[in-house]
Amino acid sequence: MNWSNIFEATLSAFFGVNAMYYAIAAIGLNVQFGYTGLLNFGQAGFMACGAYGLGMTAHYFQISFWWGIAIGIGYAVVLGLIMGVPTLRLRADYLAIVTIAVAEVIRLIVRSVRFKVYVGGSDGINEFSASYRRLSPYVESGRYPLSPFKAEGAVPYVMLAAMLAIGLVLGAATWNKLGKRFPSVPQRAGVGLTGVVWMLVLIAASLRVEYTGYSLWTVTVGWTLVAIFSVFVWLLMRSPWGRVLKAIREDEDAVRSLGKNVYSYKMQALILGGVIATFAGMMFSVERGSVQPDNYSRDLTFYVLTALVLGGAAKISGSIVGPMLFWGILAFADVFLNELVKSNGGSVEVFGIQLIGNISQVGQIQLMLVGLLLILLMVFRPQGLFGNRKEMALDGR
Amino acid sequence: MADDLTPAAAAAKAALADVTPEPGSKKLDPILIANGVRRTFGGITAVDVDHTEVQRGSITALIGPNGAGKTTFFNLLTGFDKPDAGTWSFEGRSMEGLAAHKAARLGMIRTFQLTKSLTKMSVIENMKLGATGQVGEQWWKGLFPFMWKQQEAEIEQRADELLARFKLDHMRDEYAGTLSGGQRKLLEMSRALMARPKMVMLDEPMAGVNPALKQSLNQHIKGLRDEGMTVLFVEHDMDMVHDISDWVVVMAEGCIIAEGTPDQISNNPAVIDAYLGSHQGKSLLEDL
Amino acid sequence: MTLRTRHVVAAVLLFCALAGSLWSPARAADTTIKIQVKDQVQVDGKSKKIPVAGVSVSVVDASGAEMGAGVTDDKGIFVVALPGPGDYTITLDESTLPTGTALTAQTPAVRQVKADDFITANLTINYFTGEANRTTKSFIDKLAQRTTDGARLGLIIAMCSVGLSLIFGTTGLTNFAHGEMVTFGGLVAFLFNVSWGVPLWIAAPVVIVLGGLFGLVLDAGIFGPLRRRGIGLVSQLVVSVGLSILLKNFFLYRFGGRVRPLKDYSLQTSWKIGPVDITPRDFTTAVLSLVVLVAVALAIQRSRLGKATRAVSDNPDLASSTGIDSQQIIRIVWFIGGALAALGGIFRGLDEGVGPDMGADLLFLMFAGITLGGLGSAFGALIGGFIVGLFVEVCTLFGVPTELKKVPALVVLVLVLLVRPQGILGRRERVG
Ligand SMILES: Nc1ncnc2c1ncn2[C@@H]1O[C@H](COP(=O)(O)OP(=O)(O)O)[C@@H](O)[C@H]1O
Ligand SMILES: [Mg+2]
Repeated sequence: MNWSNIFEATLSAFFGVNAMYYAIAAIGLNVQFGYTGLLNFGQAGFMACGAYGLGMTAHYFQISFWWGIAIGIGYAVVLGLIMGVPTLRLRADYLAIVTIAVAEVIRLIVRSVRFKVYVGGSDGINEFSASYRRLSPYVESGRYPLSPFKAEGAVPYVMLAAMLAIGLVLGAATWNKLGKRFPSVPQRAGVGLTGVVWMLVLIAASLRVEYTGYSLWTVTVGWTLVAIFSVFVWLLMRSPWGRVLKAIREDEDAVRSLGKNVYSYKMQALILGGVIATFAGMMFSVERGSVQPDNYSRDLTFYVLTALVLGGAAKISGSIVGPMLFWGILAFADVFLNELVKSNGGSVEVFGIQLIGNISQVGQIQLMLVGLLLILLMVFRPQGLFGNRKEMALDGR
Repeated sequence: MADDLTPAAAAAKAALADVTPEPGSKKLDPILIANGVRRTFGGITAVDVDHTEVQRGSITALIGPNGAGKTTFFNLLTGFDKPDAGTWSFEGRSMEGLAAHKAARLGMIRTFQLTKSLTKMSVIENMKLGATGQVGEQWWKGLFPFMWKQQEAEIEQRADELLARFKLDHMRDEYAGTLSGGQRKLLEMSRALMARPKMVMLDEPMAGVNPALKQSLNQHIKGLRDEGMTVLFVEHDMDMVHDISDWVVVMAEGCIIAEGTPDQISNNPAVIDAYLGSHQGKSLLEDL
Repeated sequence: MTLRTRHVVAAVLLFCALAGSLWSPARAADTTIKIQVKDQVQVDGKSKKIPVAGVSVSVVDASGAEMGAGVTDDKGIFVVALPGPGDYTITLDESTLPTGTALTAQTPAVRQVKADDFITANLTINYFTGEANRTTKSFIDKLAQRTTDGARLGLIIAMCSVGLSLIFGTTGLTNFAHGEMVTFGGLVAFLFNVSWGVPLWIAAPVVIVLGGLFGLVLDAGIFGPLRRRGIGLVSQLVVSVGLSILLKNFFLYRFGGRVRPLKDYSLQTSWKIGPVDITPRDFTTAVLSLVVLVAVALAIQRSRLGKATRAVSDNPDLASSTGIDSQQIIRIVWFIGGALAALGGIFRGLDEGVGPDMGADLLFLMFAGITLGGLGSAFGALIGGFIVGLFVEVCTLFGVPTELKKVPALVVLVLVLLVRPQGILGRRERVG
């Protein structure tokens, strides 16, 4: 068993491409599900909007690749209206049913033969990321270590500063978590100290992680988007607008009785969250330079949901940390089980019962874990791993 | 009771003095007029109100045995439910088919029989939610705090004043879920006031409230009248109805069976009959 | 460990023990037959071959067991995985060819291959089509055929949805794992019928009971404790999503991703009843479904249990105050729902083969059905499910491609919600 392999894979999954685009999708879902209590089970459909927006622009419309962003957003708005108009006046379950159905139908349509000329059928659309790749400041095939000590020039300082910043945020979060507020000087010092400890952990974690120039570009753009959307949602949620959403999550009749147009607020939340998720689809497709319909199945929605619940719904940090942990756990399980199979000569038995007969079962065990994780979280820690039990947010029927 | 009438109370009393005590009687200056409002659930006719008017600036009590259709009537008037037939107008403006939030914006704010305090929000946040016309409730403006910070401060100040008046100020920053049942009723009422209503509709404001708090709730409701608001409220406790209401409307099995001043109602045989028909009859008679 | 924790753990263990020991991991298939359908057209005097999608093809082995069936993709290709080289019969369903085209004489619809034909592990079978000179079925005949198929699908959906709707009615839970309860029926039937060789007519009752028990386990192990703890319905719904992921991947893990046919009744010649082709098997399952559904409807209407169930759906508090044990009713509803879902799974499996996705693929149609019928009403589920099934099949006659036949179901769903959200038989909700 090669433990350093396992450790490394887990760590790079934390900051990897998957965690990044799940985080964007989860931030969107958080606006809908976390803050407003909308059961949007069609997040994959919103992501497909972005992916196909870019893909179709590059391939079928004779306009610049960049228009694809606007077109993707346009698709998402239309999709939000289609999902929202029939359901948002009704009880919560209807939204879940319709969103899951609409997302599935979108997948059927884009992979159909009938519409192949527009969206490429089951092959999807390929090789459209040239414009995006040309923007990259990195050498595509170059190797870029994450560790600040292996870089040159001003880069290490920038990286150290960034790590300190992230460390301080984590430090503040840690203190918050411990129920402490920090107006007093010693407590601020405590936050600073915890922040430094976090920074050291980050540095240690980064020592062995290395990106290719290509994925580093995606990671840079993606995490920048994560940061932008986090600030965006944070600003929104501390505004009176966010207050209305949180109230709707708890009891929409009460909000209605105070003269707020609940339907309109729900629609805004659904569409805003969908537009954010659209960017997740864009990042995902542009990173591969291709969009395939079957990547946008309902499983994707469910995994994003699990990642969000893992980090804690109705919190900005939850929507970022959740996906990181989610992919960390998945990568760990993946590499661990693969190593286990390898070191056991192809199959794993426990007490004479064959647990793993071939390597393809590893993926299925991984996903069973996802399902189990979602159940256990909802039952025992609905506020997420780091959530605050008091403001636990999910019972807003 | 009659010695220390405030001007508003005296005015209401005077306005209703000459109204005939019968179902559907005309008022001098009605703020709310309902005509032929009917709502059925399957076979049951929950509400079937021929005609009723509510006098502006008065406190009107809506009483009737359980299942009489009071809550359903409230729901219909405030747009939370749709009637099978009927029209009604508020301040001369026709209201049928109007969505609940629009009814509220016209100044008709209701509370619920089962309190709907938003338990996972703090008391002050609950209050601030009640204010209408908030700039920051549009998302693109909400993004820029400088656009709504000042209004927010004003709202917060008004909320604090109301909280002080309703003696909830010590709970200001607690989760509303930590309040007692009576405090929640108070919170819901004061939250409704944040919207500056013209008419307040209270569905069983006293249910589950301890006697000490009841007394102060009484005073608060009278205070609303003094500020020029019209109050329509559902109540079972006849003592309390007697104490604060200017006019009483009695419902049974969906219909309005009697109207009148509290004194007139106490002696109305139809009312006693209606109550005797239900298990509450006895307790009401004792109250009388 | 708290009582609740023990419940959950016990349920998970019990389920794993039940299902885990069932069958050994699927063997990956190497041998395949690739079926290719192409249309020959003349373009500028040159002959071109264009792939034909959406054509139904199937492969059976020498004993008549179906090895795989499906529709060609956008490259005109469908691949069937096989246990190894052998004698197989490949059949193309000519009624699914695009209108106006027919198979050329060189490539007949039914083709035999021998073990020797497998020079490599992968064998390609070509079909070519050209312009039809035969008359095709009249519209009315096609309508009759589609209606029959639609009615069969509708009956299966109705059967699967009853439990979904009853569970919603009595507990408020929208169970996203209900599709997996259908899959459970199909896969356990496969286990009995194919792995252990038990005749299906003996195995089916056992599978139905197991399906009911499975429902009971889910309730006793997961949703019952959640209810007692007063966990919100939205959270319960999300738990059911987690359960669906867990179960689906468990099925995948134990069974493999392939769709496989049940052994019994798999090769039958169709009866011709007027314009309609129907196999004796399909006819029997349709009649059985109808009988079961009528029985369910009568039971709900007439029996004490049915009345109690409706009372609990209407108003749980009132029902308990009149002495009905609502928890007991809920358990029975889970049992019946699970049993009907399992039976639906068997029938669906006979029709389309069994695989880990078979139930989840129906879930959306079930939701459309119960929404149409009225959430929470068992009658509504019967009627709504039937209409949706019928609609999905018949719409293909009106220009909807087969691959998109689920889309109109979504349109129905949306229209119902816009026009009459309480469905045909549902009631409006109460406020305040
Ligand atoms: N959503 C509903 N569905 C069926 N019956 C209802 C519904 N809402 C109210 N009812 C019935 O209407 C009648 C009036 O109820 P309600 O307005 O709550 O009475 P009150 O508030 O006077 O006690 C009762 O018989 C009640 O059972
Ligand atoms: Mg009431």
